[in-house]
Amino acid sequence: MSIEHFLQLYCYAALIVIMVISLYGIVRGASLTKKLIALTIFGDVANVLIIYVGFRLGEKVFVPALPTLEPSPEEVAWFASVAVDPVPQCLVLTAIVINMAVTLFLAFLVIQAYRLYGTTAVKKIAKLRG
Amino acid sequence: MKVKDTIIGIAAALLLIAVMAAIVGGGTAYTPSTEIRRLAEFYLKHCINVYNTTWWTSSPATVTSMVWDYRGIDTYYETSVFFLAVIGSTALFRIAEVKLRAEGEEKRELGLSTIVKTSTRIVFPLISIVSASVVLHGHLNPGGGFQAGSILVVGPLLLMASFSRRYLEDRLRLSRARCIALFTTGLISIILVVALSFAIGGALMQNQPKPWSPKSPWGLLTKIGPLEISGTLFFFDLAEFLVVSFGFTLLFLLLSIPEREFRRLLGL
Repeated sequence: MSIEHFLQLYCYAALIVIMVISLYGIVRGASLTKKLIALTIFGDVANVLIIYVGFRLGEKVFVPALPTLEPSPEEVAWFASVAVDPVPQCLVLTAIVINMAVTLFLAFLVIQAYRLYGTTAVKKIAKLRG
Repeated sequence: MKVKDTIIGIAAALLLIAVMAAIVGGGTAYTPSTEIRRLAEFYLKHCINVYNTTWWTSSPATVTSMVWDYRGIDTYYETSVFFLAVIGSTALFRIAEVKLRAEGEEKRELGLSTIVKTSTRIVFPLISIVSASVVLHGHLNPGGGFQAGSILVVGPLLLMASFSRRYLEDRLRLSRARCIALFTTGLISIILVVALSFAIGGALMQNQPKPWSPKSPWGLLTKIGPLEISGTLFFFDLAEFLVVSFGFTLLFLLLSIPEREFRRLLGL
């Protein structure tokens, strides 16, 4: 196993360990706030994982934006051979913003639950009637 | 409870082992290498290919051309998710325009110390300029409406923290109603641009003529005079900038209503 391959696997392992821990937090979090924090960690790790998959190995990698407006055919071919994968970037770009909006919405729900019931503990809220 | 904990622990460990085994065994579709997938190569090769304009978007920024052209409808629905989240939050906090003018509070100095306020005064214009640059060059450089909107939102947040919520509402006239108005303006402009490009270009969310659309013999303008606008991409970026920045400002304005006021208004 080369050192490059090992480091790649190490990155994957670190990300997946964080993901599993945050999943545990979502399932077993005692309070709604803690569940929300675990959910944001889960979303961020997912985004990092997607970006990581889209990376390109090599000596010269380039951002997926061509520096000229009227490229020659050689420049287009060069661009396609050095630029990183734009698909994950496109997915993550919208996902981050939407994730933040949804997180804020959930935060509003948690705040409202606290105002109405006086607690965010899941067990206490589950026992409420009416 | 002990049994439940054990089961969850074992399940988590199994998930971890399974995913790692999948990666080591090459089970995932893709891992970083010197090559990229063919779909990505297609986008990279065609986004500003002036020699083969069949598939092009006339924008050198591949990510922007994917967000608003190749995968435009996907982004359209993402924006609707954003819209639903903002409207849901607004509906939860549906109280009349808050008047935070309790007796005697007028004279009290609000906000943090002079050092913080002065540095905020310096930083706030800079944040606005950076976000304007990111949105106006979104179709030429990495950047665009989503990114610029999220950058701009930092400004109102800083002002709220270092001055006060009232400063934002009174001095900058950025009230809740105005935020909703600007947010909706952005959403309506997206729909208008989609409808207009559909009427002119013939294809939905595609700004240049595409071979599968027989009634689109011509595409949209790629430049107006010396200004490069890349068809609809520039306008989409501007509209999305309005949506994201004022949607988040609205949410932060709602979040910053003091708890005391809120309880009073709810009658708790």
